[in-house]
Amino acid sequence: MNFDFSHMFRFDYLNSFIALTIVLFSILVIVYSLGFMRGRRRLFEYYFWIILTSIASVGVVLANNLFLLLILWGFLGFTLYVLINIGGKDSDRAAKKTFIIVGGSDSLMLLGIVIIYYLTGTSQIDKIHLTLDGSQLAILAFLCLAVASFAKAGAMPFHSWIPDCAESAPLPVVAFLPASLDKLLGIYLLARICLDVFVLNQVMNMFLMLIGAFTIVAAVMMALVQHNLKRLLGYHAVSQVGYMVLGIGTGIPIGIAGGIFHMLNNAVYKCCLFLTGGNIEYKTKTSQLEQLGGLAKLMPITYMSCLIASFAISGVPPFNGFVSKWMIYQGLIGQLGDGNLQLTLVRSVTILCLVAAMIGSALTLASFMKLIHAVFLGQYPENAASSERKINEVRPAMWIPMIFLAGICILFGVFAYQIPLRLLILPSLTPNFSLPFSEFLGFWSPGLATGLILTGLIVGVIIFKLGKLRLSLREDSPFIGGESSVLKESRVSGVEFYNTIREINILNKIYRLAEEKWFDIYDLCQRIFFKVTDFLRYLHNGVLPTYMVWCLLGMIVMFFIMR
Amino acid sequence: MLPLFVIIPLSVAFIISLIGRFYKRTGDILANLASLSLLILSISSLSAHHIGSVSVSVYKVGGWGGFPPLGIYMVLDGLARFMLITLNLVSALVALYSINYMEKYTSKYKFYILFMLMLAGMNGVIITGDMFNLFVFLEIASIASYALVAFGTESEELEASFKYAIMGSVSSSFILLGIGLLYSYTSSLNMADISAVLAEKGYSNIVAFISVLFLMGFGLKAALVPFHAWLPDAHPSAPAPISAMLSGVLIKVLGIYALTRIFFSVIGVGHIVLSLLMFLGALSMIVGVFLAIGQWDFKRLLAYHSISQIGYVILGLSLATPLGILGGLFHLFNHSVFKSLLFLNSGAVVYSTGTRDLQKMSGLKEKMPVTANTSLIASMSIAGIPPFNGFWSKLIIIMACIQANRLGYAFWAVLGSILTLASFMKVQRYAFFGKIKAGLKEVKEVPAMMRLVMVILSIICLVGGVVIIPQFNQVFLKPAVDILLIGKQYANAVLGAIP
Repeated sequence: MNFDFSHMFRFDYLNSFIALTIVLFSILVIVYSLGFMRGRRRLFEYYFWIILTSIASVGVVLANNLFLLLILWGFLGFTLYVLINIGGKDSDRAAKKTFIIVGGSDSLMLLGIVIIYYLTGTSQIDKIHLTLDGSQLAILAFLCLAVASFAKAGAMPFHSWIPDCAESAPLPVVAFLPASLDKLLGIYLLARICLDVFVLNQVMNMFLMLIGAFTIVAAVMMALVQHNLKRLLGYHAVSQVGYMVLGIGTGIPIGIAGGIFHMLNNAVYKCCLFLTGGNIEYKTKTSQLEQLGGLAKLMPITYMSCLIASFAISGVPPFNGFVSKWMIYQGLIGQLGDGNLQLTLVRSVTILCLVAAMIGSALTLASFMKLIHAVFLGQYPENAASSERKINEVRPAMWIPMIFLAGICILFGVFAYQIPLRLLILPSLTPNFSLPFSEFLGFWSPGLATGLILTGLIVGVIIFKLGKLRLSLREDSPFIGGESSVLKESRVSGVEFYNTIREINILNKIYRLAEEKWFDIYDLCQRIFFKVTDFLRYLHNGVLPTYMVWCLLGMIVMFFIMR
Repeated sequence: MLPLFVIIPLSVAFIISLIGRFYKRTGDILANLASLSLLILSISSLSAHHIGSVSVSVYKVGGWGGFPPLGIYMVLDGLARFMLITLNLVSALVALYSINYMEKYTSKYKFYILFMLMLAGMNGVIITGDMFNLFVFLEIASIASYALVAFGTESEELEASFKYAIMGSVSSSFILLGIGLLYSYTSSLNMADISAVLAEKGYSNIVAFISVLFLMGFGLKAALVPFHAWLPDAHPSAPAPISAMLSGVLIKVLGIYALTRIFFSVIGVGHIVLSLLMFLGALSMIVGVFLAIGQWDFKRLLAYHSISQIGYVILGLSLATPLGILGGLFHLFNHSVFKSLLFLNSGAVVYSTGTRDLQKMSGLKEKMPVTANTSLIASMSIAGIPPFNGFWSKLIIIMACIQANRLGYAFWAVLGSILTLASFMKVQRYAFFGKIKAGLKEVKEVPAMMRLVMVILSIICLVGGVVIIPQFNQVFLKPAVDILLIGKQYANAVLGAIP
């Protein structure tokens, strides 16, 4: 057990910028918590674990020793468990599920790391370059580590803890861990093993791409039919991971850069979205979409931030989500154009992934339209409004982090190349790939496009204003034959419309199976394992002679073996 | 100094039985003093030898002259020191815990008598160098434990004790038969001497026969599948401190220690025995954890986990590589710490709420923070979450599996670890987290002494990983590993050390 303690940490562009991002998010979430968690019990414990989590996370990304990485990584699972448990209703169940999936994948990671150590004889990450070709053990090790990163980031099929956790855990914890930090860590690990530790082959790249594409579409389909704001965001948190895995899976520089950039962007807007969700819940005490509506007037800052973040996650230009998605698409297209890849299978997989990614993007937009409509537009439900106190904007500690993140969404979108790509993303890839990056953004130049969009918007506003001036509208309450003028029927909650999707024949079946948790690896394994348990318990009938017979049978077998 | 390990608990048991009935506090005071002094003795035995070499000290019982096979010997080597510390650490803490816990039972002094007898038996098993003495001490410890399992004298306890006694006696008879055959074959009862004689005479069918007898006999004491069926009844039925002793150390001393001592040092392990043990270890690991995950009885769940964790220890030891043995022994130590802590936690829950059914408790964290937090630490340890101690030993065992090119076993170990985590998540969720049940609003935290013990054990869990840092490892684990690695050279080491 002689580990070399002298090379415990390394600093390169990739992990330094992720470490910085982690610190930034920690600060934002702590600021937010000062507002959100005010007046709760066990606050010391809460901040203690939050700070410990961020320290351990920084340790993970900077670690240069596989075992150090493993220890800190496993410890993060534990802090996540403790933090979720601080939360409210049902948080114990979510915490259990989360930790079984995350902790279980950590055990696989242990196996993977031990295999790597055994194959290479070193635990120093920067000295390991394993090829996957022809070595079963190396493939196994890669898969083990990939599972750990998938479980942490929430790629399918290890995603199912995220929606549960999003629904039940305290909101700052969700915004901090599953939404931002765990994505950063999981994708960091994936990038690290795909770029440095292992040399991937074609098959493995295809595998990653397929997982990514599947995650995008399946998770967004689930998000579409959710009725709970936090759960909906949770499914999107899963769906976005698909893009990152897809990007890294392309295996060509622009795709990988896109994947990593998307990781950063996702952390920003997803954290922002969860914070807005937290504000809404904080004020209205509910996160059911049916019971919300018309909050845009009451909480304007929250509304604007949520709108920006929604556009960003849906990939609407000029926000940051668009740029990174565009880079991922380019990675896929670039792969199609590559002369070496004339295999039809490879081509069709790539096309499939491209289509999936685009569909996913469209559906994301659709589901965020639903969210925006249900929460901020429309009407606030009557019964709730009368009983609740007046809803107004949250206190500054809670909107400052949100505004900050929304600002980053715009900044990273408009000045995508000048700021994040040039300073953060591209340098982190240069040791592995050196390509002329000047041309890679294709025909998309965000500055010009933003200018055009802004001009368009301003022109639109002017025309609108002019039109309004000319028309001189008269507003009046509707007359319906003396009946009460409260029109409950006319309130569109924003949920019903999307029920149409459920009613499509095939989807209906799939959704039903999904609700019975047939696609949840946790429940699936539970069913299988409990079958085994039941069988074993059936054998243990508590009758002494039976047990004696086992002993004697055991002896007989042993005699036979030792003969 | 060596015989003190047996003399102290035996004489204390005797004194308590004489005067315990008249002075209520006798048992509390004497038993605690005795176990504490044993702990100090065993720790001081560590510093008394030089690091690095295989150092063995031998004591002649009764000062008999001559060489084996004449006379009875007690042997203290690295492995014995390691086991003594593990045993006496747990027993000292358990004795402290019993002061408050055993209040609810009548005739507490009888409990201490049996406790001290069990301790004397286990200490004896560890330090004896004589086959027949091994059997005698083993029976002392076993019979005391049968009585202790039945201590509550409810129907459930009596049934469990009956099963345990029957199966335990069967295994003891097989062990005795094995010892008899070995004596007839080698004309000696001294372990070192037997080892030397066997080396001279070579392998024969009778040795194979004896091996199976010992495998079954000690395998049953260690609760290896398929000889495990007594354990899930016996361990939960005993009072919590005794459950902690049974799961924490008894199965290890009577089972694993005796098994490894006899097979590694006396008979010598062949390829077949090792593969057999490895298989049984892996089987126990998996079967135990599968049975545990379906349980709703807190203590029964823990008892099944003992089977599973014993599997890890056996798997590590039976790899017979330096790393594997290190991992196995380290896991043995860790398991005795966290499993006794878990049983003491369950005892605290029973003490406060009166139930062992996980479905009847909920949200105890609010009312019993010390119990809840210590049990969280212990759960993380057993599930192998870094940086708690169980993680390190599991890591070493899995590394050893890979190193020995046993990928399949490594995989089973990982699966077992995941399922262990899952079942302890269940315990934590149902017992300690969530909303508190209406009937449990009046629950109080347990008395100070019990809390103290749980906190001490949880601190050991938290910092237990330091044991593999070379400075500690050199003193504590390495000598024990070395003894097992030299195998049958043990005979020479002991015979050479006879004064």
